[in-house]
Amino acid sequence: MADSYSFMQEQYTKILKTYLEEKNEIGLYQAQQFSKKVLENQISPEEVVSLHIEALEHFFPDLPQGARDSFDFLIEIMMGYGMAYREHQILRDKQKELESEINVAASMQQTFLPDEIPEMDTLDVGVISVPASKMSGDYYHFVKDDNDCIGVAIADIIGKGVPAALCMSMIKYAMDSLPEQRLQPGALLENLNRVVEQNVASNMFITMMYGSYDSRVHHFYYSGAGHEPGFYYNKAEDSFEELYAKGLVLGLNRDTQFREYHKKVEPGDFIVLLSDGVTECRTDDGFIEREEITRLIRQYSDLSAQEIVDNVFYQLEKLQGFRLRDDFSLIILRRKV
Amino acid sequence: MNLDIRTEEKEDYNLLHVSGEVDAYTASQLRESLLPLTEKEGASVIVDLSNVDYIDSTGLGIFIGALKSSNHYNGTLRLVGLNARVKRLFSITGLDEVMDIEEEEEAQ
Amino acid sequence: MSVQSNVEVHSEWGIVSARQAGRNLAKELGFGGVDQARFTTAISELARNIYLYAEQGEIIIETVENSRITGVQRGLKITARDRGPGIKSIREVMEDGYTTSGGLGAGLPGVKRLMDEFDIDSVTGEGTEITAIKWLR
Repeated sequence: MADSYSFMQEQYTKILKTYLEEKNEIGLYQAQQFSKKVLENQISPEEVVSLHIEALEHFFPDLPQGARDSFDFLIEIMMGYGMAYREHQILRDKQKELESEINVAASMQQTFLPDEIPEMDTLDVGVISVPASKMSGDYYHFVKDDNDCIGVAIADIIGKGVPAALCMSMIKYAMDSLPEQRLQPGALLENLNRVVEQNVASNMFITMMYGSYDSRVHHFYYSGAGHEPGFYYNKAEDSFEELYAKGLVLGLNRDTQFREYHKKVEPGDFIVLLSDGVTECRTDDGFIEREEITRLIRQYSDLSAQEIVDNVFYQLEKLQGFRLRDDFSLIILRRKV
Repeated sequence: MNLDIRTEEKEDYNLLHVSGEVDAYTASQLRESLLPLTEKEGASVIVDLSNVDYIDSTGLGIFIGALKSSNHYNGTLRLVGLNARVKRLFSITGLDEVMDIEEEEEAQ
Repeated sequence: MSVQSNVEVHSEWGIVSARQAGRNLAKELGFGGVDQARFTTAISELARNIYLYAEQGEIIIETVENSRITGVQRGLKITARDRGPGIKSIREVMEDGYTTSGGLGAGLPGVKRLMDEFDIDSVTGEGTEITAIKWLR
């Protein structure tokens, strides 16, 4: 520290001398470069004033006393900046610490999500889930049973970031602790709702859509708890319809019942499940229409399910200037021919 | 985004005028104004949302919290003047069936 | 031989007197310009805390010595003592960013950084005592 100060003192005196003698832009450029060094060496503002007065006394031994005293005054003025500067350095380190903590939490959170999509002879599945910041409030889950039935859940936890992520771990464990035997979507949501109702704060809630695809007969059964409607693509008619299951959000009323809906899925038909981060996509002109999403899906519908979701995400991300406002999740289940 | 909240005390109820966007950043402001009003026995609260263009899920959570509190104190909570976008949110989440909600009146 | 200076703080005049006493001692001991300013700022901040939160208290400034192999190290010690309300959570006030509500107030962590040693004791309802030392370099 003291070494670097005397070294800096020498340097400062030298470049100030050059400048005072030649008074040109090169000198000022050297001053600008020196200011970077000052920061690198963590020299605080009041020390810079001190460098200056010491150099000045060196050049002008007859410096008037008043001018000399005025620098003591300036040092005092710079003390506030000095204190702020040192605090800033500490806060910067703290921020780094927090960031690395969040990075660890974020990678832990990734383990809550399935690491692979189930491979099926009958279904082509595509999934993308991207958090707006580091932690996500979107959750999805796949489960495949011995009878070739696949269960799929998509959930959106209120808010985003760390609070949503904490709540998500609860959902994950609640899903894992459900009875082993396969539950019908409605019954599953009723079970989950009781867990959530008991465990969340009064202004928290979760929306979810749960579906079960029976590959033997190609029926899709689904129920919803206040979740953003998805889409159903009818290949024969080349048309989209809304996939909506009315139901109250999880965590509000203990005794909520969930109605079960059902679709017969034909070859080439597909089911689109999404979070509101997809539909509440916002550009400078306002929110995008739901039709924009179906238009994009149709544009890429010749590709695999995974390629469709990847492309739709890319286009919507681009529309928003590559800045996500909300967590984004999109799942497509397409019946193979 | 800004949120403006004005509370009007009527004879037997409180009227809350809200304007702006209720999202993750402004939600706490709404909670501070709304929640205490519901925390009195039998309190009646009306929230006027006709100047609210957008509510996100955090905002919705505030209304759910207020509803729970209002039910706990045997009060009533009513939301009026919801635009189509806001109304859709309450409808999708099933809240329109457990809350007293009134849509924006059609322009004459 | 140790030199000591006691200053009562119950007005902004008290703050100025404490600064003055501190600066005089720092000069006598041979502190450089920047270190004088740092030492005085620390006194100023501690005295200001007494004035703002405890209304009354005292600042004691004294010379201290520390024997080392390299010789005797000399320094200045500030003791800020008050019978104010005390500090409920010392951990909170020692946290950076806690009291930075504008102005020069880098708070107690800021004072700690201006000095070489820092110690604080506080009992709710009884008062606070802060001691801090700056060694001559």
